[in-house]
Amino acid sequence: MNGLRALPFAAIAALALGMAATLAALQGDPPFGAVEMGPWRTWPRVGDSEIDPYARAVLAASGALPLGSGEGLAFVAKTDDFDAALDARCDYRISGGAPSARFWTLAAYDVDGDLRPNAANRYGLTSTALLRESGGGFVIDASRDAQPGNWLPLGEKSRFILVLRAYQLTSSAVAGALDGLVLPKITREGCS
Amino acid sequence: MSPRLSAADRAIGLIPWILAALLGAIALHLLAVLSLPALAPSAPFRKLALPLAPGERALLPRAAASSGGSTFADPFAALAVCRFDLAQGPFRVRASTDGDRPASISVRLADGTIIYSANDKQTPNGKFNVLVVTQAQSDAMDSTQDNADETRAAGEDDELRLVSPGARGFVLFRTLGLREGDYEAAAAARGGFACATEKTAP
Repeated sequence: MNGLRALPFAAIAALALGMAATLAALQGDPPFGAVEMGPWRTWPRVGDSEIDPYARAVLAASGALPLGSGEGLAFVAKTDDFDAALDARCDYRISGGAPSARFWTLAAYDVDGDLRPNAANRYGLTSTALLRESGGGFVIDASRDAQPGNWLPLGEKSRFILVLRAYQLTSSAVAGALDGLVLPKITREGCS
Repeated sequence: MSPRLSAADRAIGLIPWILAALLGAIALHLLAVLSLPALAPSAPFRKLALPLAPGERALLPRAAASSGGSTFADPFAALAVCRFDLAQGPFRVRASTDGDRPASISVRLADGTIIYSANDKQTPNGKFNVLVVTQAQSDAMDSTQDNADETRAAGEDDELRLVSPGARGFVLFRTLGLREGDYEAAAAARGGFACATEKTAP
């Protein structure tokens, strides 16, 4: 009889623990299968039928449409090269190389995945529209304030995320071998 | 019986209930993770495809701040979507591109799993011709074809037959603006994307 009195408590505990574990697992990024390259992370398996159930659930909950493996790969950065969280109160220099792809885009998002409102109504940059250095490299200035050259507006909210999408990668990245893939550096400049 | 022993007995008596609660929590967690892709209102299939009739094409609006579209959407991508339901018959997807800008299609199940994706450089002349079928429909086609190979239309030689493990899903067509002012041209290129449920032989 005493044991049966514990039944409702056990059921409530199971419900609470199960829901808490589910909410924790579905927050943020897919928990498994990430490949890290400096501050950039990508999840190659979300673009094909090998996707794991947790990644599938995370994407369904977020409403995101991942790129298929035949389309390209998306790389996400939440920190700079020194592992400090990206903050729009600071200016950033994004420079160096980019993945060997037919085309790539770079955009800044809120932490919940919305593009960041800004006075210029510019939400990103593309590889074909960049001003390049003589050697083919590039420098992008990510800042709240307008900058000469390649400017990525950051909007007002402080925390932000960068997403670089490489379409039609020419490396073997599609097969999951990301060795040798070049991604730009993210360097913090001044902060206001 | 001492009060201390009685407390220990009570604690031991709770162990099965604690284990049962943990097992219940794990079961609930796994059930939620596995069922969420089909049930979440924000899931792309429910949000973008389910309002469409099978074979109907929808052109998605451009991603912008607070546009209410998909999260983490590429502002340079022009998207179009079609829903398929293979219970109504095989599903034909065609797309043609001009080759000037990257384009791709992806076939996604209702739970979001991408079962096929390809870009315009991987297809003959940048044209897509995909027939999405169930295994049973594919088998039926093979047996029909064995009997009447000569009736196969020459225009279907570039067809890719894709056997889908699920009956419901959607096809996403993506083309990209090359720069800020190029989105409208990319959006217009979605006109080359078409899909339809095909009639099956009675």
